[in-house]
Amino acid sequence: MAPCRAGVQVPVGALQGALAAEHAAVWVYGVAGAFVSSGLARRLDEAATAHQARRDATQRLLIDAGVTPVPPEPGYLGPEPVTDAASALRLMITAEMDAAGAWRSVVERSPADPDLRGTALEALTAAAVRATRWRATAGATPLTVPFPGAP
Amino acid sequence: MFQARPSRRRALAAGVTTAALFLAGPTALAGCTASAPAPEGPDPLEAPARRAESDVALAAAVAQAHSTLAATARALAADRAAHAATLRAELHRVHPDPVPTSTAQPVPPVVPPPASPDAAAARTALTEAMRAAQDEAAALVITLPGYRAALLASVAACCATHTALLT
Repeated sequence: MAPCRAGVQVPVGALQGALAAEHAAVWVYGVAGAFVSSGLARRLDEAATAHQARRDATQRLLIDAGVTPVPPEPGYLGPEPVTDAASALRLMITAEMDAAGAWRSVVERSPADPDLRGTALEALTAAAVRATRWRATAGATPLTVPFPGAP
Repeated sequence: MFQARPSRRRALAAGVTTAALFLAGPTALAGCTASAPAPEGPDPLEAPARRAESDVALAAAVAQAHSTLAATARALAADRAAHAATLRAELHRVHPDPVPTSTAQPVPPVVPPPASPDAAAARTALTEAMRAAQDEAAALVITLPGYRAALLASVAACCATHTALLT
């Protein structure tokens, strides 16, 4: 049974999945910074900071629920090696869509708790918007998907 | 998709199992979970379905009227058409038979305004439509059961991506 946080059940598996996705996204932005143009540095930093904040908040949520948060992996395998700006952007888009999917699962598996569902919706929305902005930067099409985060 | 080293795949699969167990549990714990809403009044998905259909019409009109906005508006129309189709499918799944008109609560249709002849105004109209759709879906995310909440969460997020492209 999932632990209760102040009377609200926490979907531990989904939150651990979201935390794992945030760990991965933080790692991706660390790697991508070496490949994308310096003109994107500010946007890259903002994205990395956003994922670090989500990671930290999710860790706290799990600890408060009496659960050990999953640690980051020492390294991650993307769909392709990162060798230039284009492959770095594709990996960033992949990381954002993974995060969107993980947070959508938190929405789906949460009880109707405004705090947790609201947080998960914010995280899903922010990831989807970043993915779209990176697609625009990369000149990728389509720029949007109808159901961000859907399996 | 993006993965950690292979062992993490198993860890994530284990997480899904945990969550499934969690979902099976709450029926025994009424104090810790929300009960299903009473089936009274129009289905809460009716309004977002109508809004999605209305947005399709608005975006199609804008695409036809303004070549500079055509690509953006057509992409928006395609996503909103996907929303409408999926929401209608869920409505049909839950209400396979049409509700008799004598007991159905009338829901006024959402009629989109015609596309403004001014491109900037048309862009603003699309932006406002996306913000309204995002707000409507986000409010439902908090209250609806899991599958529907997740569906509307994706709808809200998609509308936010279109707002980002329009502004």
